[in-house]
Amino acid sequence: MERLDSMKRNKPLALVAGAALLTLAACGGGSSDGGGSNGGTDREFGDQEGGTKDAARKGPAAEIEGAATGGTITVYLPGDPGPDSLDPTTGWSVTGNSIQQALTSRSLTQYARDENGQPVLVPDLATDLGTPNDDYTEWTFTIRDDATWEDGKPVTAEEVAFGICRSLDSEAFPSGAGTEYSKTYFKDAADYEGPYTGKDPNCEKWDGIAVDGQDITISMAKPFPDMDYWGAFMTMGPAPLGNASKPPNYGNKPLANGPYKVDSFKPNEELVLVKNDQWSADSDPARHQYADEFVFKFNQDQSKVDEIMLSDNSDSQTAVSTGLGSDKYTDANGQLGDRLVQQTSQCVSTLTPDYDQITDINVRKALAYAYPYEDVWIASGEVPGVTRVPANSIMPPGMAGKKDFQVDGEQITYDPEKAKALLEEAGVEMPYPITMVYYEVDPLAKAAQDQITKGFEASGFKVKAVPVQESPYNIWLDPDNKVNKTLNLRGVNWCSDWPSGSTMIPSLLRGGAVYNTARFDEASVNDEMDNIATLPLEEQADAWGSLDEEIMTDYFPIIPTAFRNDLFVFGTKIGNPTGDGSIGAPNYKDLYVMQ
Amino acid sequence: MSADTAGPETLGSLSDEPQHQDPNSQQAKEIAGKSPLRIALGRLARDKIAVVCAVVVLFFIICAVFAGPISHLFGVSLETPLASERVDGLNNNMPKPEMGPPFGPFTWEHPMGVAPRTGNDNLAYWLYGCRISLLIAASATLVASVTGVVVGLLAGFLGGAVDKILSFFVDTFLTIPFLLAALTLAPILNERFALYDSYATIQKFSLVVVLALFGWMGTARLIRGEVLALREREFVQAARVMGMPTSRILFKELLPNLAAPIIISVSLMLPAFVAAEAGLAYLGIGVTDGVSWGQTILQAATPTYFREYPQYLWQPLLGIVALVLSLNLLGDAIRDALDPKTRR
Repeated sequence: MERLDSMKRNKPLALVAGAALLTLAACGGGSSDGGGSNGGTDREFGDQEGGTKDAARKGPAAEIEGAATGGTITVYLPGDPGPDSLDPTTGWSVTGNSIQQALTSRSLTQYARDENGQPVLVPDLATDLGTPNDDYTEWTFTIRDDATWEDGKPVTAEEVAFGICRSLDSEAFPSGAGTEYSKTYFKDAADYEGPYTGKDPNCEKWDGIAVDGQDITISMAKPFPDMDYWGAFMTMGPAPLGNASKPPNYGNKPLANGPYKVDSFKPNEELVLVKNDQWSADSDPARHQYADEFVFKFNQDQSKVDEIMLSDNSDSQTAVSTGLGSDKYTDANGQLGDRLVQQTSQCVSTLTPDYDQITDINVRKALAYAYPYEDVWIASGEVPGVTRVPANSIMPPGMAGKKDFQVDGEQITYDPEKAKALLEEAGVEMPYPITMVYYEVDPLAKAAQDQITKGFEASGFKVKAVPVQESPYNIWLDPDNKVNKTLNLRGVNWCSDWPSGSTMIPSLLRGGAVYNTARFDEASVNDEMDNIATLPLEEQADAWGSLDEEIMTDYFPIIPTAFRNDLFVFGTKIGNPTGDGSIGAPNYKDLYVMQ
Repeated sequence: MSADTAGPETLGSLSDEPQHQDPNSQQAKEIAGKSPLRIALGRLARDKIAVVCAVVVLFFIICAVFAGPISHLFGVSLETPLASERVDGLNNNMPKPEMGPPFGPFTWEHPMGVAPRTGNDNLAYWLYGCRISLLIAASATLVASVTGVVVGLLAGFLGGAVDKILSFFVDTFLTIPFLLAALTLAPILNERFALYDSYATIQKFSLVVVLALFGWMGTARLIRGEVLALREREFVQAARVMGMPTSRILFKELLPNLAAPIIISVSLMLPAFVAAEAGLAYLGIGVTDGVSWGQTILQAATPTYFREYPQYLWQPLLGIVALVLSLNLLGDAIRDALDPKTRR
């Protein structure tokens, strides 16, 4: 899912901060770095091969050693507006999904964190990870009979089927993840308008799903081997039948079936979750119910939160922060020890040269050499080597099948001379004109743009940077936008939805894909993407890796500028301070308050 | 000024009339032959605070006008450096020791140090920020006071329907919340002009318009009130009886008598606009290209920077405080000097 560069603004009038993103993925490994110059703790990212599964995992989840019950955990989310709605069907952001999937809203499958810190796909409402037929065009899940709603009623297979059916209503839930996956893969989904838009409140007109006792069978329009991963999205979970779950009201206070339920929700401000006493630990293989209460505070001021977390006062001891200002990294690294957690977020930042206008591969490579990587990271408030690490291709590190290769033999770094040589080789006029946009409301974005302009102009380009006051995605994704029509360099930050190349490469580089801001469209590559989906499951990962390398080597249509990592800060009394490798968020499922 | 605005100092006098003086006395001879403005200037020159403030203001004006040559003299410029050359990405993005404070000794290459995170030279940004500040404030003051004076003159002198209509506009503009209007205008301008190469100039021009648009009403009301009192005075009545055209009465008879209130409103408007410009830049509207004291303050106002590198915040802050304070005090002194009834 898209991700806007975090906007750490410290002004009272934060105008916009759209940052929707989802990373459901394996925790990957960049090289360990970031010891800091002042002798702080050396940190390591866990390495992982991506995508372990355990279909037999049974509830209750194993106890965390030393865990205690009780207490309130406060979570500060600096610069993050949080979800607008809590409806599970509409969620497709790291913030909303990480909170709700871990605490309130169950789905077919889920992730558990194993002892090495790696996410393992385990059953949730289903008794196993689903049974596909031979060509992955039909998946059957058996719904467990001991899961309950917060009002004590059992979660039925019909309700799960109805919830899945809701995900097809792309008009009622335009930002939902179902618009990408349910719509594409489920049988006859493209023609079905959904229960609300299609005036079909009981979902009778769609025959892609069949309920037989506790069994749910979903038919696919084309092979979908990743259905078990897709089942871990909360949109693949139950919804109360009929009017009880009608949008948009349901989004204010959805019926919970996880260990916590919604006590109060003020969008962009605060979400309070309290214990759901109807949830039974025996029915859930991965969640815990240690703390009495979770309080999520959205849109917090980064520097204020940093001060609170570093002060170690009584407020901060039971608090968690989902971000750390780069100006605090050195202090925090020395002071916090294990309580500062670095988590790879399975995201890549890219620049996307317009494939129709910048047709010469040498010009595209020249752009890669003209980009002053480290300077841009510093100016935009990132910590080089810690929250941003150099990238070689689209697939993030640790993703199954990723090849360890470099397009030009070694990591591309800022090298203006090499860029000029490439431009000369391409035989284009110099300076070569580049038009791009930047988000002028954010001083960090402006500072980063200054660095990019500086680097490009030293390398034989001439930059016209157009200031815009809305999210650059609104410009890049709107083909009719007058500013967009003038651009020949765009960008996109993308996170995987689960640890497979199928959530990275087609989304960014398939001809006509929404987020294909490079407008890259090569028939052979498109065919290869379609082809990989039909390969045997065990060959797909490698095939994606090879395609990744082939695209970068032969076409270089997209310039990966960085792989992204997150920093989380935990208070001294928060037990088990860890990150959730599946989604790039704190590991809410396993947190507790030390007593 | 009209009599009712005389300060409390004059209340002790038995009469509002100037004290009777012997026309042959030494004092009277000194005054004789001097214009009221000359007298006021003489009073101003004897006011120590006024002189100090004038020197400070002059210093800022020199900095603003000669920002280019001064930067050149020190060998600094606005040009963006590569961030990694000047700041340490693994040390809270603070300047490297060889760039001067806070971790290194003073260096002539960057007399005021460099900014954390970007490595921009502080002196160059301070000088050009001063220029932007004064340029925008002075232009906005000019536009606002001319508009205010003309509207005030017309409304006060013509009266009747014209007065009603103009007063209505004054009241209307007073009801529009300034900050809200400025906030709404920024995205609209961006939408319209983002693709223009002269976007930065358009942005500053529109800032002047916005400031002036919401700054002229005070002057207009003040002038209108003055004119209402003046137009019933004998010399105006006489001019009317003699059949002088209205424009001549307005500009030849009334305007010279309004010099004092105009100068006063201008001298108080200027510091208000300097502060407003910085405030808007801090909010991210108005000047967004970074060359503004307000924008520097926005970037410097984080606890870490302030704790480890307080100079970075103090530099623009002192600039604004010194400029606004001296402009205000100077305005006060001018007001006092122009008012024959004050005693200091």
